Amino acid sequence: MSDTDPRADIPKGMRPDEQITTDPTKPQQRMRAGSLTMTLAPWIAAVVIMMALPIVFDNNSSLTIMNQMSITIVFALAYNMLLGQGGMLSFGHAVYAGVGGFFCMHLMNMSDFFAALPLPLLPFFGGLFGMGLALIIGSFSTRSAGTVFAMISLGVGELIAASSIIFVAFFGGEGGISGDRTYAQPFFGVEFLQQQEVYYLTAAWVIISAALMYAWSRTPVGRMANAVRDNPERAEFLGYSARWVRYYSFVASGFFAGVSGGLFAINYEILTEENLNAASSGIILLVTFLGGVGFFFGPIIGAVVFTLVQTVLSLQTELWAFYAGTLFLATVMFFPGGLAGLIMMHVPAFKLGKAQLLVMPYVRTLIPAAIGILGLCALVEMTFHYRHAATGDHEMTLFWTTFDSHTIMPWIIAAVIAAVGIGIARITAPDLKDAWNEANTAGGKK
Amino acid sequence: MSVPALELSGLKKSFGKAEIIRGIDLSIGKAERHAIIGPNGAGKSTLFNLITARFAPTAGTVKLHGENLAGLEPFQINRKGLSRSFQITNIFPRMSVFENVRCALLWAQGYKYSFWNIVSRQRALSEGADAILDEINLLARRDLPAGMLSYAEQRALEIGITIAGGANVIMLDEPTAGMSNTETDYIMDLIMRVTEGKTLIMVEHDMGVVFGLADRISVLVYGEILATGKPADVRADAKVQEAYLGAALEAEH
Amino acid sequence: MDLILVNLIDGLVTGLLLFMLSAGLTLIFSMMGVLNFAHASFYMLGAYFAYSISIAVGFWMGLLIAPLIVGVAGAAVERFGLRRVHQYGHVPELIFTFGLALLIEELVQFIWGKNQLPYSVPDVLNFTAFAISGNSIPAYKIFMIFISVGIFIGLLYVLTKTRVGMIIQAALSYPRTVEALGHNVPLIFMGVFGVGTALAGVAGVIAGPVLGTFPGMAFVLGSIVFVTIVIGGLGSLWGALVASLLIGWITTFAKSYNIEMENILNAIGIATPENMDENLFRDFWSITSPQIADILPYILMVLILIFRPAGLFGKRTQ
Repeated sequence: MSDTDPRADIPKGMRPDEQITTDPTKPQQRMRAGSLTMTLAPWIAAVVIMMALPIVFDNNSSLTIMNQMSITIVFALAYNMLLGQGGMLSFGHAVYAGVGGFFCMHLMNMSDFFAALPLPLLPFFGGLFGMGLALIIGSFSTRSAGTVFAMISLGVGELIAASSIIFVAFFGGEGGISGDRTYAQPFFGVEFLQQQEVYYLTAAWVIISAALMYAWSRTPVGRMANAVRDNPERAEFLGYSARWVRYYSFVASGFFAGVSGGLFAINYEILTEENLNAASSGIILLVTFLGGVGFFFGPIIGAVVFTLVQTVLSLQTELWAFYAGTLFLATVMFFPGGLAGLIMMHVPAFKLGKAQLLVMPYVRTLIPAAIGILGLCALVEMTFHYRHAATGDHEMTLFWTTFDSHTIMPWIIAAVIAAVGIGIARITAPDLKDAWNEANTAGGKK
Repeated sequence: MSVPALELSGLKKSFGKAEIIRGIDLSIGKAERHAIIGPNGAGKSTLFNLITARFAPTAGTVKLHGENLAGLEPFQINRKGLSRSFQITNIFPRMSVFENVRCALLWAQGYKYSFWNIVSRQRALSEGADAILDEINLLARRDLPAGMLSYAEQRALEIGITIAGGANVIMLDEPTAGMSNTETDYIMDLIMRVTEGKTLIMVEHDMGVVFGLADRISVLVYGEILATGKPADVRADAKVQEAYLGAALEAEH
Repeated sequence: MDLILVNLIDGLVTGLLLFMLSAGLTLIFSMMGVLNFAHASFYMLGAYFAYSISIAVGFWMGLLIAPLIVGVAGAAVERFGLRRVHQYGHVPELIFTFGLALLIEELVQFIWGKNQLPYSVPDVLNFTAFAISGNSIPAYKIFMIFISVGIFIGLLYVLTKTRVGMIIQAALSYPRTVEALGHNVPLIFMGVFGVGTALAGVAGVIAGPVLGTFPGMAFVLGSIVFVTIVIGGLGSLWGALVASLLIGWITTFAKSYNIEMENILNAIGIATPENMDENLFRDFWSITSPQIADILPYILMVLILIFRPAGLFGKRTQ
């Protein structure tokens, strides 16, 4: 009989055998509670945040960026219905958003019909048309999964995108199709002339679409989509045709992609071939994967981060696409769970109440690593400038300093920063690893 | 004479030039417990795959409750009341144990491809799944990812998923493969309980299980059935002794 | 009649080029199960490397060295990139090769810029070989045909007559068995990937002067290559050959003969509508074969997928 309880130093409520019951006052344990508050809380928070954002960032360019994020969020969530939920990789999903958008533009140009239609209803029509196309294409493309499905999606996507140059009546040729959203039926007096009004319309649709897509994942067909993704053979022996489950997921995904197309039509009032092409399909794959396909909110993070990179970073450097590509490849190779996966990796530590063990190690490793990476970026930028700037133009600006890229000094500084930063990170990395193991193990020292 | 639960007539299967199943006639009655034994490579798994339409037969027919299964897909056959387990555990490793069983109930409870029901709100589903978990004794592991279960627990889950949908013809492919004696007894007991009143067709190597569970057994050697009958009769059959059982039986008893 | 001959030659050039790409892709797919989305990127790298080498030491050195560099790069990608991702499954592998294709395109723009490079036919080949009723056939095209055919014969020989080739064929279907026999299968994988990408590199070296050397070249040809192997049947080398030649000839003939949709529709009894400018289907009526020549492969792919999903020579997928 030992006289000291080896668990005595673990706070009450945190011991492993006590984890079955939950103490709702402890934030770390709230995630286990199955109550209604738990399910609704993130959604209510999202609504509040989206309503508050335009008050905080009220200039037009911020509103434009936020709208762009919103449209991408809907599209990425729709794409993840296929990739994350269904295990289906599509290289041509932009066509469903694009075709939905094009139909909306044509509706906008049908003056009699459009004058009687309140603008908030327009994305619904986008969804219907996106769904219609998916019904047709899915009838033969969802017969297989995996690599074959991916190749079919690529071919069909290219076919439709290339057809857009030929079918000028529908796709508008080089100039695309444009319209004016303000000719819709005023919605409670609002004519949607102001960017802010458009923002609230878009935000409302984002919340509604996300809620519906989340609900879908909790329905029988949504659950079986996960099952078919993981083990199609087993799913068949549960009475489900893997092929039909994939088809329904595909059609639903097409609907919400079409909604994002409709939102695009409202926001930009023009659709072009660019909305259909493989580049757009590739971007949404990048966005969704970067955010994390394994969690519902992953694509949302991906959409926000990528839009920021695309709009803000592109102002700083011509090489933003190169960085985005490198980041994407790094994600695939080193953290395929995406950003959401990285975040959720910390949940066990939070639940054990030991997350604060990680703070200092992170500071000591991640900050030098970040500085080192910035040093590398500086070298990359300088190399690019050296090679491609007009002859005689030696001056370049980086990190608020202007210097001559043809002198040796800036190169040395950047190289040193890179080496030192990464060097420090490598030295402190083992400590981070130890701290990580510690934070994820129940019991032991606090 | 009632319609047999499962009837195989002249069943043949060749892969290219290799004839794996060389003509099988077998009739299994309702609520019969039938074991198929035979040396490795005899074609037992191929036979299972033929019945459940994983492969199409080269010749012959498979009839379930008198109905010809030719041309049907696995999911269609499953809906007609036939369910199978796999030799290599085939569950949904990323889902929780509870969700695994719940998925198995969805079609049987009529949900089909519904997108207007939220599964967690359906009482019948949750209670049904918990009832099955209770039967297979995995209620304590309810919320764990299925991939984290021990081997024997996963095999038990596999059986649970197989019977959950309410199929009346259950096919189990080496359910006790790789298990210790205690685990084997446990699974045997489980199988007896959950297949009460249903037709059971089992491929097995463990003679203890075969003689303990089966009403009748068939011996499959080189794609043909050498003998079918009550365990004691088959054991005494000279051909069988010569081809297969012989030494193994002596060792068992 | 003579026009047909010219088109046959042109189509042959395109088809053989496509086959060089789809053969390497098929080899890699059959062996490793991964469809290399970045395959056409190695084709692009071949052209770019050849250009840089050729302005230093001439076209022929480029032809010799560039594919080697590309092959080594390919082997390195397999060893350090793909092998890592392999454990996650086929879909992540495909996403990896997609990301690689993106990155290579950005890299190419980073190093060589966004404009088309003046990579041109070497002077020694820059003449007309012969003419067929007024249409001149450049010697370079004949050269391309010879190189392509030469490489195939070499490939066929290695695969069927040498020991290495037999091991590769075995490893194509039963890698674990081959490994159990003591062969270094990871090394074979790396080698096959390297050879496959080197093949793509050769295609780039010889096609660069003719099809243009610019950052978008990988994508333009790449999607046609994938369509080719879907039509031919995933995993079948013969299918790749037949499909490549088929597509080469179909697109060439479509471009050269101006077949009008209006004529076809009239021929089957549908009269041309009165007011064409207002008609919803006016674009459809005015389609001509040169217009759709480039998307004919995609249309063919969709048709094959509907009527013969495994492709022309495809193995039935499990």
